[in-house]
Amino acid sequence: MIVQSLRRMTQAGVIAILAAIPLLSLYAHYRSARSIDDPALMAGLRGEAITQHIHPFVESLDDPQGFLDSNKGTLWSMRLFGIDITDPLAAIEMTFATKSVYWPLILTAAIPVILTIILGKVFCSWICPAYVLFEVTGKLRRLLRFAEIQPGKLRFSHSNKYLFLFVGLGAALIAAAPLFALIYPPAVVSRAIHAWVFGTALMGMLILLGLIVAFELFVSPRWWCRTMCPGGALYGLLGWFRPVRIKLKSELCTACQECIPVCEAGINPITQSESIECDNCCACVRHCDDRALIYTIGLPIRSSSKQSRPSPQRAGRAAALLVLLMAPLVHSSPAWGHHILGLPHYSYKENYPQRPTLEYPATTGPYSVLLTSYPGIPVPGEPANLAFYIKNKTAREVYGMPITVRTLQTSTFGDNVTIMPPTTREPFDNEYKFHVTFPDDGEYIVELTLEVEGKTEIIPFLMVVGEPTATASIAVFSSFGMIILFVVLRAAQKKRARKNAQDINTHSQGACAATVKLHVLAEPVCGSHESQ
Amino acid sequence: MNVNRREFVKQSATITAMVGGGFVALGNGDAKGVASSNPLRPPGALPEDDFNSTCIRCMRCVDACPNHALISIPLGEPGGRSGTPTMQPRKAACMLCALEDGDYLKCTEACPSGALQLVSKQADDIQENVKIGEAEVDLDLCYSYNNWSCGACYRACPLAGEAMTIGAWERPIVHPDLCVGCGCCERSCIRYPHAIRVQARQS
Repeated sequence: MIVQSLRRMTQAGVIAILAAIPLLSLYAHYRSARSIDDPALMAGLRGEAITQHIHPFVESLDDPQGFLDSNKGTLWSMRLFGIDITDPLAAIEMTFATKSVYWPLILTAAIPVILTIILGKVFCSWICPAYVLFEVTGKLRRLLRFAEIQPGKLRFSHSNKYLFLFVGLGAALIAAAPLFALIYPPAVVSRAIHAWVFGTALMGMLILLGLIVAFELFVSPRWWCRTMCPGGALYGLLGWFRPVRIKLKSELCTACQECIPVCEAGINPITQSESIECDNCCACVRHCDDRALIYTIGLPIRSSSKQSRPSPQRAGRAAALLVLLMAPLVHSSPAWGHHILGLPHYSYKENYPQRPTLEYPATTGPYSVLLTSYPGIPVPGEPANLAFYIKNKTAREVYGMPITVRTLQTSTFGDNVTIMPPTTREPFDNEYKFHVTFPDDGEYIVELTLEVEGKTEIIPFLMVVGEPTATASIAVFSSFGMIILFVVLRAAQKKRARKNAQDINTHSQGACAATVKLHVLAEPVCGSHESQ
Repeated sequence: MNVNRREFVKQSATITAMVGGGFVALGNGDAKGVASSNPLRPPGALPEDDFNSTCIRCMRCVDACPNHALISIPLGEPGGRSGTPTMQPRKAACMLCALEDGDYLKCTEACPSGALQLVSKQADDIQENVKIGEAEVDLDLCYSYNNWSCGACYRACPLAGEAMTIGAWERPIVHPDLCVGCGCCERSCIRYPHAIRVQARQS
């Protein structure tokens, strides 16, 4: 169906844009550094994409620098072809966090707001990249069920998300810092794609998304989108009076209920297609054989059936939310903006932003100890230069006595291996230098022994050299692989068993086999559906 | 709405998790509370607390920086600051867009939320409005103060002669009120550990 393929194309296009923008900005970095011809920088997949595709394309434009300047950002706030687009949730949350109204930002949220008022929650079903991820998770659940492993079917109330929007904005108001910006999945996915292209840290984001995916896979189907997403809640409220909505022609409906299991929003399209939960994703329209569910364009709401009206609880919550939305407009004094909960101010390591590639700080007594390594990233098998710098920060005095250092290689099983026996050095130019050759990739302990105020102190520094295969990640990945293998094997086995049964059926009874298979594949239609 | 016990437990658990998770994510659960410096912020940034609440974590400035100097603080760092931009001058310093076309510093031009105020590339505007931090020399580490002669930082300084002057044996002298904190000196320091560091402003 054409709407469905349009939707898939939009989703793919959005993800492509999210990957293209960081590539363009990387290209802009290299372009202004005049290093586009540097083979060392342009190695690998990223470099290939830049030299093969981005470079010829951008340079063929009339104004390359202007084009590069007009595409920036992530889905949270983006400049696309020179047009600023901001997620309405970002604008509202920033208004709450700062308790002041900054119109230049709020006006950039106009495009999505207007689109949502007309088209409903289409941001979710047509644009959001996290929605794609969770749709795939839903498909994986189908695979699980096909292999006759029953994933959990815990259902939560759909109104939780309005509550979460309320709580999160309240938290932003109190703590004067945005919360949704950190955990809102579209922003996180978008930032993860960005970090992946840039080659920066993305582990935290992957863990967050992985937790949600695992929860949806094994405990509660489509938990985030249906019951938690604050963005979905906001878009739902904005699209309450949308002219474009899916309506049921009740004279055509045969009540076959094919549309209930396919609904992405987890509602019953027969009764609730006009409620604020519907995200106009077209799944029910596509699966309706009777053409009873269709897109309609009409004037704002004249509900055709009683059930489709938003429930009183939901309306009450929405009203409370609107009052809360007004709060910063009325009270826009920044006086009580900060420190209400005493945010920890400076919780970074002492020299966090300035560390070079490898720098390990520690403190003992009045002394702060700094271990640095040259080269910045030690190469296994080549001598590395470890330098200790020990200083009394308050008295501004350098520690002058000799220190002893030994180096051990940690091993998962058995004792640690000594790489460098205890060695004592005098300071040279106020620092202590040791030459260590790390034999191979792994984790090492550099153990410093020094005397502080008459007592002997031992400080171990954990150093990671190269890319050791950490036991934890091996365990995680291998168990993940095992689970997938198990599920696939089981699915294959069940398929064969079913085929055998079907063959027997075909021989004995003939026609009814096809319907049996259809019911096995589709999500079980059961009376315990949450929304009914 | 009729609520049975199972529903009630589920609802209460969800709400508790939301509120608790919210505040943990904002970093109130950080136990260590080590007092240390602010992260270095891009040019034109508001004072730290205002910046932290105004920045919407969209990474546009990260995309805009032509020198790749801005990075976004990864998710999971305590303090509720993940996603906000910072710099590590040791890896890449702010070049004040010296070689770029355009009238404004690119990151300030890209910011949609006003967390970075627009700064033009006029020398006096930069001097007045850019205050990333100020450089500080560790006299025990700096080669020039320890019987050698170096001067690498002086040669890297974009405001050499104003923000940094040079004494006998090429000893660097930083003038904090004129230093914009671009970090070029820290980037260029030849000592390990580096003897000159940009300290973030404490406001």
